Amino acid sequence: MVDMDLSQPPFTLLDDSGRERVVRGVDLLYFSRDEIILDAGQPGEFMYIIHKGEIAELDPHAPSDQARIAHYTAGDLFGAISILKGTSRYRFKVEQESLCYAMPRSLFEHLCCDYPAFAEFFRRGLAQKTRLLAERRAESGVNMAGFMLARVSACMRAPLIVESTTSIAAAVNRLNESHADSLLVGNNGRFGVVTKTDLLNALVMEGATQARPVVTIAHFELVSAGPDQYLFEALVQMTRHQVARVVVVERDLPVGVVELTDVLSYFSSRSYMVSLELEQAGDLEALARASARLPALVQALMAQGIKLRFVMDLLAALNGRIVDKAYQFLIDPRYRVQSCLLVMGSEGRGEQILKTDQDNALIVADDSYWPDRAMAMQRFTETLYTLGYPPCPGNIMVSNPAWVDSESGWRRTVSRWVERRDEASLMNLAIMLDARGVAGDTRLLDRLREYLFDSCSHDELLLSYLARAALHFAAPLTLFGTLKKPRHGIDIKKGGIFPIVHGVRTLALECRIDETSTLARLAALAEQGRLEADFAADLGEALALFIELRLKQQLTRLDGRQNSDEPNLVVVQALSSLERDLLRQALHIVKDFQQRLTHRFHLEY
Amino acid sequence: MIRSLRRAADRRRQGHGRYDWLFSPYAGDELVAIDCETTGLDTRTAELVSIAAVRIKGERVMTSDSLDLHLQPPASLHGDSIKIHRLRGVDLNDGDELGEALEKFLDFIGNRPLLGWCVDYDLAVIDRQLRPLFGFGLPNPCVDVARLYRREMHRTRPQLEPTMNFERVAEALNVPVMGRHTALGDATTTALMYVRLKKGALAAS
Repeated sequence: MVDMDLSQPPFTLLDDSGRERVVRGVDLLYFSRDEIILDAGQPGEFMYIIHKGEIAELDPHAPSDQARIAHYTAGDLFGAISILKGTSRYRFKVEQESLCYAMPRSLFEHLCCDYPAFAEFFRRGLAQKTRLLAERRAESGVNMAGFMLARVSACMRAPLIVESTTSIAAAVNRLNESHADSLLVGNNGRFGVVTKTDLLNALVMEGATQARPVVTIAHFELVSAGPDQYLFEALVQMTRHQVARVVVVERDLPVGVVELTDVLSYFSSRSYMVSLELEQAGDLEALARASARLPALVQALMAQGIKLRFVMDLLAALNGRIVDKAYQFLIDPRYRVQSCLLVMGSEGRGEQILKTDQDNALIVADDSYWPDRAMAMQRFTETLYTLGYPPCPGNIMVSNPAWVDSESGWRRTVSRWVERRDEASLMNLAIMLDARGVAGDTRLLDRLREYLFDSCSHDELLLSYLARAALHFAAPLTLFGTLKKPRHGIDIKKGGIFPIVHGVRTLALECRIDETSTLARLAALAEQGRLEADFAADLGEALALFIELRLKQQLTRLDGRQNSDEPNLVVVQALSSLERDLLRQALHIVKDFQQRLTHRFHLEY
Repeated sequence: MIRSLRRAADRRRQGHGRYDWLFSPYAGDELVAIDCETTGLDTRTAELVSIAAVRIKGERVMTSDSLDLHLQPPASLHGDSIKIHRLRGVDLNDGDELGEALEKFLDFIGNRPLLGWCVDYDLAVIDRQLRPLFGFGLPNPCVDVARLYRREMHRTRPQLEPTMNFERVAEALNVPVMGRHTALGDATTTALMYVRLKKGALAAS
């Protein structure tokens, strides 16, 4: 007689009789505050499922500020690993009085024996659990199958029909007016299609006059589809007949046209359209319009369950294009070739999904002469602001003269930073390491980075100073407040993203890796043998998870559903138990990584 | 008082019968929370519909080892009580016979102390049914959780007049109400309330 919620994994991996066994076999236990349920080294006799309350997992051997390993609340499981391993590795302590279901060891082992999928759940690594989450998200959101099942009618546009007497000139006018690529010509109840290519061929290759009736160049063998057919059938038709459009016919009358680009953009959910719009933007206004559509694009891509790193890559490319375009519009080509615009910080690493603060700098060639540079840069910063990039609070922008310098000037600055190695200089070095050239002559940046590597990568002392910052926020979980605080949660930027990003950055500096994105750096580090491939992959997954959690919060803010002003704070209680489980494991990996860094750069004291 | 006199008489009569062990004092650390659903609220006429019992060992409520008995539909089963416990005549058709059920019940509880919400009522009904068939009433010592709660409240917060409603008490003790008005659910909730009271739920807050 227990009201257990068995609709979450791993219980979904059991069948009804298995769940019945769970319900019949569990006991109820009450724990008061500060009680220790299971201590390190004790044999695991029960798997606990929390009905109510909060329980912390602590490492009794770690110093108190780092002891906290995980946090469990209603719906979470713990103790299973202790049963599988024989003894518990950590101490489980009650944070808030808790009511738990306790599943005896024998029942747990029998279930594991009878349901291999159930047993597998507890043995899985982080990457596989992430996959489970992605699958779940794909189920809940719009998935690819939904797109594949779209009908032709969902994506067709109204046909452009002209009389058979229309001249070529009039036809071209109509095409331009309605921004179409093709039109239909009616002739004695039959319809033919005329495309822009047909018009070009007729006018240029055959030398037809503008007054010639358009019907003479129309094709009357139509490739057609019904409005109720699946969209992918239309796609198959186009591929088979090597055309770029099908005419939608209903009862012998054309009711619409489906263009290849429409289908593709439909399938890729507007990503194609946004990038096309970006490329075609002829002025700042059009650029701003295209840039404003990026958040919706991110939302659509995430809803389709596309892996976060691909979304990040796409967004990094698109943001880079926006900044590049803006630079082109504002800066005279004469000066463009003499300079290199850098984006830095998360934008430089390509890890920013939504628009973040502008973090940029400019390298100017030594021999350039650019009198009103300061003014141009001021205008550029303001322009980016109108494009939706808020100014950097630390003033790391090209409007700040400190971040605009000649090549040799930058070298001197870097040397100064390396010499001083105080907090601000180390931060600036870290920022510079992530710089990515987006516009102008990127060779300037390549040379500067070479110089940076030359002066830093062998400087053990500097590296350990730099690495220390990754340990600065070493207790990611102390910010778990009690439930009573109105808004609390863990800061995943400080506790998860920053240690990974910064640690990987330091290792990349040591190994002279040119890549700026953390995931690419991890791949390169694994290739060089600096990190094991498994560990690098886990770190990447952990980072992706943190970014995804943050993104989810940012997206809810976009929707206006929630009004929190700190997207980095993740309220653990609001997560599903699977997500909590993932977060817990990801933080474990961060901790592991921090320990490796401590070891490598001798930061023990 | 009357109860203990009757118990003394019962014990003498059962001296060497099948159930004499029920009368020996209990030495273990377990309790049994019981609850029954009946056909009415008058202890003189109400008949049993279902009985449930859950063992408590220390702070553990042993829901995995509990007793949930449904009885054959009694003659006095009618609409008003069906509305409460939702057991219709047809639901009970394959239930146990009264004697059989009480036997299982006695075997389950043994001589452990009993626990219930307003347990006097349940005891009165069970005793009335038990006496003609077995010749004795339940000899076990009993704890009434309602009374226990009232006493604890009075001790810790003398200025308050406690509300003695089952759901409200469960809420005050931060105990989830499991399957209200099923015998097993109420027994489990009562057991949780007892565990909470014993662990000083009221003193702490």
